[in-house]
Amino acid sequence: MKNFKDIEQLSSYLDGQLDSAESKRLESRISSDPELAADLNDIRAARSILRKLPARKAPRNFTLTRKMVGLKPPLPQSYSFFRFSSAFATILLILTFAANSLALRLNSPVPAFSFGMGGGGAPAATEAPAATQAPAMEMPLAATQSSSASADTTVATEAPVAPQSSTLLKETPTESAPLDQARVKEEAVVPVTWQISLLFIILASAMIAFAINQNAKKKWS
Amino acid sequence: MDETALIQTAQNGDLDSFNTLILHYQDAVFHTALRILGDEDSAEDAAQEAFISAFRSISSFRGGSFKAWLMRTVTNACYDELRRQKRRPTTPLEPETSDGEEMDSPKWLADPNMTPSEKSEADELEHAIQHCLDALPTDFRTVVVLADIQGMDYSEVATAARVPLGTIKSRLARARLRLRECLRSFEELLPSSFRLERESNS
Repeated sequence: MKNFKDIEQLSSYLDGQLDSAESKRLESRISSDPELAADLNDIRAARSILRKLPARKAPRNFTLTRKMVGLKPPLPQSYSFFRFSSAFATILLILTFAANSLALRLNSPVPAFSFGMGGGGAPAATEAPAATQAPAMEMPLAATQSSSASADTTVATEAPVAPQSSTLLKETPTESAPLDQARVKEEAVVPVTWQISLLFIILASAMIAFAINQNAKKKWS
Repeated sequence: MDETALIQTAQNGDLDSFNTLILHYQDAVFHTALRILGDEDSAEDAAQEAFISAFRSISSFRGGSFKAWLMRTVTNACYDELRRQKRRPTTPLEPETSDGEEMDSPKWLADPNMTPSEKSEADELEHAIQHCLDALPTDFRTVVVLADIQGMDYSEVATAARVPLGTIKSRLARARLRLRECLRSFEELLPSSFRLERESNS
């Protein structure tokens, strides 16, 4: 067995990959070197065995279907239109909700603030000091009313405020909900009917686009 | 068949054109996969995967030998299959006769025009060669299958195997040498036609 460089040259020689000068040099070596000639025959034999191997036919056709390669059916332009209109109407609907919510907050800051404080918190906060002060002031008030007619008028005038403020505290949360709802309706930038219309457009467009897609798929297969 | 025109229309997404190309090349693709993998079922899977992959990436074909380009996808599919087999080794189910014995050469693989002795010779030769091919490292096997079984030239093999020309020469020489050594042990099994040819050559 010759070195591997010789083997590589012999293999290339058999395939006609050597230039004429290299081929002639190798041929003269082969003629004078029996071992090299034997190696050439070995490689030639291996090559010819492989070439004798019977070609095997494909056991079935490997042709592809559209499904196999994930091809989508060609869709009419109307599909794009309905899909776009559905998406556009969805965006519009979201914007209407955002606009209505924003308008409500901007136009009525107090109720808006009261929503944030947990409903009716703001009036209570402003009037609470009077409410808490009132019972404390009532006791000296009773004493001062009997002893002196020239009682502190400021206290006397503040005393009736206390019950009023406490009743206001109790009533505010219950009355604010229907009031707010009415205010939402009054101050909405986009009427509810428009929103319902948009919702209808979204659903109708989506359903039509779906039907077009399904129809195209049926025709395609 | 106008191959260039079919390739161009296939590149525009025309599946029918690509299917025409498949019908032309499917035997070569399957045979290559079979010789690399040594198993018919795996070769079928690899061939199908190769054609799917080829259709999806046909836009990347920039001219030259379409067969070499296609063989590249086949060798890739075969390497994927070999990696998969390595991860999940399975025991092949050999076809059995009515007596429950394993069939050495399944009858559906035989050419119906062959005489029984020819068929037997062909089966023996095929088995011996496949055994020796399977014993080669995958890279060597791929090169020798493409060059000597598919008859592709060195530059096509280099394209298909994605290795330099020098590497092809080296691998081919080593593979042929190893095959010759391996086939020596099957001398008695090899058909008379081969033995005579070898003798006449020596």
